[in-house]
Amino acid sequence: MCMRCVEISRRSLLVGGGALVASAATGVAQARTRPADMVPLIGPGFRPTETDEKGLWQLMDRAEEEISGSNLLVKEPELVSYLQDIIGHVGGPAAKDMRIYLAHIPDFNAMMFPSGFAVVFTGLLLRMRNEAQLAGVVAHESGHFLRRHMIRSWRDQKRKSDLFAIGAMAAGMGGAAGGVYLGDYVQLAQLGTILSLFAYSRAMEAEADAMGARLIAEAGYRPVEMANVWEQLIGEEDASARYRRKQRRRGSLFDTHPSPNSRMADLRLSATEVTVPGRIYDDRRARYLSKIAPIRQMLLEDQVKLNDPGGSQYLLNTLAQDGWNGMLRYYEGEVWRLRNRAGDDARAAQSYAVAVAYPDAPAEAWRWHGLSLIKEGRSNEGKAALGRYLRMKPAAPDAPFIRQMVG
Amino acid sequence: MRKSKLVLAAALLPLAACSTMGEGTDLGIYQLVRVKPTNVGNGSVTVLPPRPWNKQRRVFFFDSLRWVEDWTLNGPYLDGLTFVTALPSGEYLVRQRKSDERQVPKFRSDMTAPELAAMLATAYRVRGGAVQFNSLNLQPRQFLGYPGFQFDFEHLDGDELWRKGRAVGAVVDGRLYLMLFDATRSHYYGNALPDFEVMANNARIRHS
Repeated sequence: MCMRCVEISRRSLLVGGGALVASAATGVAQARTRPADMVPLIGPGFRPTETDEKGLWQLMDRAEEEISGSNLLVKEPELVSYLQDIIGHVGGPAAKDMRIYLAHIPDFNAMMFPSGFAVVFTGLLLRMRNEAQLAGVVAHESGHFLRRHMIRSWRDQKRKSDLFAIGAMAAGMGGAAGGVYLGDYVQLAQLGTILSLFAYSRAMEAEADAMGARLIAEAGYRPVEMANVWEQLIGEEDASARYRRKQRRRGSLFDTHPSPNSRMADLRLSATEVTVPGRIYDDRRARYLSKIAPIRQMLLEDQVKLNDPGGSQYLLNTLAQDGWNGMLRYYEGEVWRLRNRAGDDARAAQSYAVAVAYPDAPAEAWRWHGLSLIKEGRSNEGKAALGRYLRMKPAAPDAPFIRQMVG
Repeated sequence: MRKSKLVLAAALLPLAACSTMGEGTDLGIYQLVRVKPTNVGNGSVTVLPPRPWNKQRRVFFFDSLRWVEDWTLNGPYLDGLTFVTALPSGEYLVRQRKSDERQVPKFRSDMTAPELAAMLATAYRVRGGAVQFNSLNLQPRQFLGYPGFQFDFEHLDGDELWRKGRAVGAVVDGRLYLMLFDATRSHYYGNALPDFEVMANNARIRHS
């Protein structure tokens, strides 16, 4: 979906814009893409036969080699096989051919590469409320592959000379080991730049949505969850922007994707179309939560510590629609504490106090609860809370300092 | 994707260093720091480096603030030493716009060591491009003759390198004093840590 490919957007805005004009002229953009029309264009075990596509795959193989060896990948075997299992269910005919990698990057993003491997960012896992939502995003990405969007857009735009550009980029990544690279926020994201050469048109995004809806419905997931993902994302973007009193992020997903409201409407309509009366659909929330449980705190930590209060608050409230717990309340406190405006210390203190009332409160909640109490002048209670923290996490990195405070 | 200022700055370095106006003039990016008592930051702290270092012009990670000064031995990609001297309450470690979606928290004079450590962690995530940040140790330590703290940490950055760091700091009269050392974990950290330790121990507040 490349939902937040900021790097991509500037270029693809131009490229995709051109494609949009072209399709609008022929009337293609007017019609809604229906899931029923979305037939996979490739079968199992697909390999390219034409020269340009073969060349592309070769380069992608190198890119994949780079990625699979990156130390930014989360390699927890359970989690990786879980993601592989999902793509195996919603990957249509190519289900067994596609690979999926989880990159430790706190942004909302997922991307499919022309040779059939997908990269999912950990920030995506944080934002999904259930497995159906995750499956929806993965299915959308599969849709790009199954509909051969990369090679189609490549050929449509007759930008074959850019193959050299890709080659150069792949070489650049190889060269990184030799210390000759110009760093980016995340090297992996350079692959986002590669993707920008394929600039999906809005029509293609609509196709991937429709294809995705069909794939998740066939796999038994509640189809409407795809629309919900979209709604959550719009909400988060707006909340973050409103907070900073400015327009949505420049170069945001809205540049390359259909207008948000019409897209949401289309997704809801598609969800209705692919729903078979009498069939039972599931969101598999419990399974999702148990699978990501080992990294949930890391995911929250990554997001909240970026100190984007508007976005983080929205996100916590969204996750809390399924019920507040000690972990979420603790991170709510962290949002306030890091924001650090007048009165925020009191707000944070209140969240910590609520957090520790839950049995699942992380040890850190006790630490900040204790420190807040001490600042309020409630020294004894504060020290007791810090003591609790130390008992829960005797080997905590800051234990030496906290011990000194407790005295 | 946001760019890491740190990394970006490093990428620009070779170009600048090659320019004819570079070395040896006031327009250079570096200035030699000799082995003699040297005032740092806003001039309120003096340290005695055990060997020559390079002082950076204020264009990098903690940039263009008069309370903050950066040094390096081998270039900011590999190692860096940051002095924060007498940062007043309500100020930031870095220059940033209010509209930036991700913010380095503001310093307040009532911050405790765990809060200061968390502030640094967020600075690395927001401005240093760290995708993973591990606190290793937070313990009491005297700094400038005042009760302060020592914070050890490591982080994995977007360029796929692990870096390791140590901060030693104290809040004195409501102002933050901090020395922050950060270097690639595999070699450069161990290489320059002894220098950092010497300076963290000989740093003095100048009483004018």
